[in-house]
Order: sequence, then C-alpha cells, then structure tokens
Amino acid sequence: MRQPNGFCFTHFPVMACLVDRTLQLFVPTLFRLQRALLLSVFILLPNTTLQAGGLKPVLVDSNGQAKHYSLETVREIFFMRLGSWPDGSPIHVFVLPDNHPLHVRFAKEILGVYPFQLRSAWDRIVYSGTGVAPTTVETPEEMQMRIKGTPGSIGYMGE
Amino acid sequence: MFAALTLLLPFNASALEWHNGDWQMHGFLGQGFTYTDHNQVFGTSRDGSLDFREMGVNASAKLLPNLLVSAQGIYRDTGGSDTLGTRLDFAQVDYSAPLFDSALVLGVRGGRVKVPFGLYNDTRDVLWTRPTVLLPQSIYFDTLALRQAMISADGGLLYGRYTYGEHRLNLEFMVAQPQDNTGGGPAFLTNIPNAQGELGGRPMFIGRALYEWMGGRGRLMFSVVDLDRDFHSSSPTTPSGNIKVMYPLFSGQYNAERWSLTAEYGWIDSQRSNTLPTLTKNPSENFYVQGEYRITSDISGVLRYDVFHLDRDDRDGKALSQLTGLPSHRFYARDLTVGARWKFARNFLLAADYHYINGTAWLNDKDNPDLMNGGGTSDWSLFTMMLSFRF
Repeated sequence: MRQPNGFCFTHFPVMACLVDRTLQLFVPTLFRLQRALLLSVFILLPNTTLQAGGLKPVLVDSNGQAKHYSLETVREIFFMRLGSWPDGSPIHVFVLPDNHPLHVRFAKEILGVYPFQLRSAWDRIVYSGTGVAPTTVETPEEMQMRIKGTPGSIGYMGE
Repeated sequence: MFAALTLLLPFNASALEWHNGDWQMHGFLGQGFTYTDHNQVFGTSRDGSLDFREMGVNASAKLLPNLLVSAQGIYRDTGGSDTLGTRLDFAQVDYSAPLFDSALVLGVRGGRVKVPFGLYNDTRDVLWTRPTVLLPQSIYFDTLALRQAMISADGGLLYGRYTYGEHRLNLEFMVAQPQDNTGGGPAFLTNIPNAQGELGGRPMFIGRALYEWMGGRGRLMFSVVDLDRDFHSSSPTTPSGNIKVMYPLFSGQYNAERWSLTAEYGWIDSQRSNTLPTLTKNPSENFYVQGEYRITSDISGVLRYDVFHLDRDDRDGKALSQLTGLPSHRFYARDLTVGARWKFARNFLLAADYHYINGTAWLNDKDNPDLMNGGGTSDWSLFTMMLSFRF
C-alpha cells in the first residue's frame, strides 16, 4: 500500500475549493466536448455519408450469368484477382471513373467496399506487374456498348 | 519538367491498352522537393533539394486468361542514397489456376519479382501507392543501402488465395537471390565502410500471410524475411564472413469510408560471424501508427508517429554511443509526420509532408559525411513535396 499523500491531507480545504472551482469551469466545457465527440462519431462512422447518384446500380455481364455468382467471386473479379470464368474463358472488367456517382454506388452497395480500396488494389497490381487494371469507360452508355460487344465481359449499369 | 507535365494534362487514363485490356502499358513520373533545417536527405536538402525523381514504365500482357507476362523499368534518383539510375524493376511470368468455383486460386510467379513485404513494399516507388511522400522510414528504409535488396529479387514465388464469405486469406512464399551487391549493399550488410567483395550463398526466403475481412475493411498481415548471406572479400585487409538477418513484420489496417488506421511493428535481428564487425547482438525495434482522413475523394490528410530503435534494449542509444564514440542520436529516430495529398486531376497527384524528427538513425553518410565523425543534429525538421503524373 502506498502512504497517503501528506500534502493532500494538510491542504485539503484548499484542494477541495480548487477542485470545486475547476469543476464549475470545466463541466459545461465537458458537455460541449461530449456533444462534439458524439457528432464527430456520426461523421466518422462508415455508411453514413451522402448517397451518391439517383440510379440503383446492377451487375451486368455479356453472358447474363452474373447474378448467379457469389459476392466473394464478384469482389475478386472487380479487384482484378480472377483471370477467367469457371469455363476457362477470359474475364474483361469495365468500370466508370472513380468519382462517377454510379461507380461509387456500385462499389459501396454491390461490392461492399469503398472506391478508394478498389483504386488502391488496382494501382498495386499494375505497378507490381501482378495483374491488369480494369478498362475505364467514361459513360454508362459506353459501358453498355462495350459489354455487349465483348464476350466474357462484366460491368454495371443504373436502373 | 513541370512544363512537360502540364502538357500531359488532357491525357486519358485508359488510353494505353489493347485487346480489351489484355495488353496494357502504364507508367509514372514524379518530381520531388526536399528541405531540411539540419542534416541532409536526398541531396543537399538544407538548401532545398530537387534530387528526388522517380519514373517508370511497364507493360503487361495476358497471353492466356491466367497467364500474365509483365516487365517494368524504373529510373530513380535520390541524391547520394540512390545512384543506380535506370534499372529493371521486374520482368516476370505469372500463372494462376482457379479451383473450387474460383474460391481457391493457386499461382506461381518467376523471373525478377517484387519482394512481398509489409503493406507498402511492393509498389513503394510509386507516390500513388504511398500514404506520404516519404514512407515510414523505420520499416521502409529509403536512404540506406539495404533498399535495393528489398525492392525486387531474382527467383520465384508460390501463392494461394482463398475466399470464404467475408473472409479472405492470401499466402505468398518466395525464394530469390536479393540484389544486395548493388547500391552499397555489401558495406551495409557487413558493417564495413566501402567493403570490397561480393555477397552470395543461400537465396533469401520471404513469407507473407494476409487476412482480409469484408473486402479489405480490416486487414491483418504477417511478413518475414530470412536472409543468410556469405560475404567473400576481394581485399586482403577486409575479412570475409557470414550475415544472417531475420526481419518479422506485423501489419494491421482498418479502412472506413472517411478514415483509415494503419500500424506496422517489426524488428530486425541480424547476426554477423565473428570476423565481421558487430555493433550489437540485440534486435532493433521498428514501428509506426498512422491515421488517414479523406476530406473528399481527392483530398486527404495523414498523421503518423514512426519509431526506429537500432537496439531495442538501448532505446536512448547511450550504450551504443559509449561503445562507438558516436553521438547517441545515431541509434534511434522518432518521426512525427503530418501530410496532405491532392489529386487535382485524374492523372495528377500533389503530396506534401512535414516531419519533425528526433534522432538520425536512418540518415545515410553519403549525403551526411559529418555523421561519421560525430556530427549531425539530433532534432531536425524535414519538409518534402512531390508532384506525380501517372498513366
């Protein structure tokens, strides 16, 4: 056991007075801090930011098979970690630019990841030579056209 | 150079690909600026140094759906610490086989391959894949001569990936000859200044295991380097000997929409045979904690505390200082970093970071010759900025 602090005992009334004054000053500030903290937690939490774009993204592929694939397979495809479909034919992936509202919604709502995670994974495979980047198209219309014209391709559109 | 960069502004990111993306070319071009108030980093940074350039071009071809051939050449210049100029970064063939409805992928890669180590090593020459202009130096040494040996190596790699629901496991095992005879590697590993001779012997082993949860929201990683090299001296005054290095590294990351929290912790345990000078038999201590905040999708900020102790049983460097006669700040470095990044166009990135550093352990003596005779300043600041273009 530690010995009680002598200073605390001899100066107790002074200390109590000081503590009281300090509390009077700090309690309102503490409440304000707590409110700010709570607010910032809401801001910092995932999934609470603004919804992007008006159209709901859906997966599209040239064979019309996409809906049969599991989420983990679709994720692996869009992270560019799978080269071929189960029948051995090559996969071609089309995406919209990183900031396109439909791309943002597709990443978050269909793949369950954030666009920056996709970009960071693509950059890593491209600059380490361990894979290829998806083909970026500029508009949803261009995406639909490219998917129609490319066997084994996959992308998304707004509904 | 900046004028040349601005000419590239309207360049389309996806322009250089053929056969629906099966053949691709990519590249990057970065020019940095470094200023320090004391000590020198990447050239004569006390006067503001522009000796920080990194550029690379690569080509990849999917010859078959699961057969990839790729190569990358890099030019890098960072003052006295990198004088290799142009180099072949990787040239490799990769084959992978998806099994069990693509839940399991097994693959093999051979040639000159990138060294799989930690969260940032694989693509550390590209600003776009680094959180800051200067990576945490406790783990990713950029001014020391060990760098080239950590970048890429000649050999092969086996890998496996397994996904199950929200869980994903990635394993890599590499056996390769490190590039430790370039860029001052022998002197650094033997601890003999200007060592004349060659390193050889057993190739290095590297293993890396990654567990990812919810598509990468949570990531846990363990990497380990096992190096066992023989130094064959070519000078009668320099001894030959053996160097063994074990470098385990634990990494963790959490990615939310707005912020990411990252930490890595490791230690370097090196043992030199009796003939070679040995400073300490104790392992080092290397770690950092980093927070990133994305204000918009194009602007982000980063805060990091990065610590390197050459001997984890002598954190203040006093024992090593007494042993060597060098100031104790040579044996540790603690770096508090604040940084910002701005992608102001699809292919352009401007990044800047400010470092307040206590200690000089990761500074090199080529840029700082006075470190060899007791010079150097223990508390110093570093500001670095880089503009990078990529396609």
